[in-house]
Amino acid sequence: MDSQLHHFPNLDTVIDQVHALFDAWETEDYLPPTVNVATLYQLKLAVHEWLANLVQHANFEGDTTDVTLKVEPRDDRLFCAIEDNSDGFVLDSHLNIEPEYLDSLPERGMGLLILKICTEELTYERSELGGYNRLHFYVSAEQDPWLGTQF
Amino acid sequence: MSFVLEPTSDQESVIVRIGKALDFRNAAEFKTVCQEKVREGARNFILDFSETGILDSTGLGSIFSLYRQVSPLNGQVVFASVSRPVQVVVQLTRTYKVFRQFPTVEAAQEALT
Repeated sequence: MDSQLHHFPNLDTVIDQVHALFDAWETEDYLPPTVNVATLYQLKLAVHEWLANLVQHANFEGDTTDVTLKVEPRDDRLFCAIEDNSDGFVLDSHLNIEPEYLDSLPERGMGLLILKICTEELTYERSELGGYNRLHFYVSAEQDPWLGTQF
Repeated sequence: MSFVLEPTSDQESVIVRIGKALDFRNAAEFKTVCQEKVREGARNFILDFSETGILDSTGLGSIFSLYRQVSPLNGQVVFASVSRPVQVVVQLTRTYKVFRQFPTVEAAQEALT
């Protein structure tokens, strides 16, 4: 399979468009033999959580929205990079929260933690000069992630 | 409404056909319609995930909210026909420890009656 690169200019439709892409990849045997479909679902969840974060919290004021999704198989993992031209986020404090600090059966606050535990080598580079912010990571079939939710 | 709610012969149980997604876009609606059903007397909720391609953190939070609402009333929230994308979320959050899962809606109904 080849590397996939897609641009999304509209925040109102980006979620549905990305879901449609994943549906197509699932039905068209997009995945190489070394990557199973559960890994694709894990990637879909991670991408969805980040896009949900962009849709709900990012500030694209004054700019034409541009979100770019790149997905590429690398050995037995899937590499993913999501770029956007919003003002970006200060993420360190959110990504450093440990699951045990979540409330029991929490209603909010799980999204970035899900992103964190679903992925490997998660990196966020915030643009300093009004360019593009970039989130990139891998997902792997080797993982058995656990959010650590308390019940 | 993006969800289909179906009554059962058991007056206290409701089937909720989740449809394609339970996520940040419709989680508030899910909470509202379920709260209304609880006010009308429903105690057990069978969530049918057979068509569901995404259950995200906000959607899961809305299910936790429903669980907190019906648990003190001796009610239950159970999952039925869990699709593979939803199973990924169930596994990483280990919510199978809280929400019983059934292969079909009918099996869930039978267990709750």
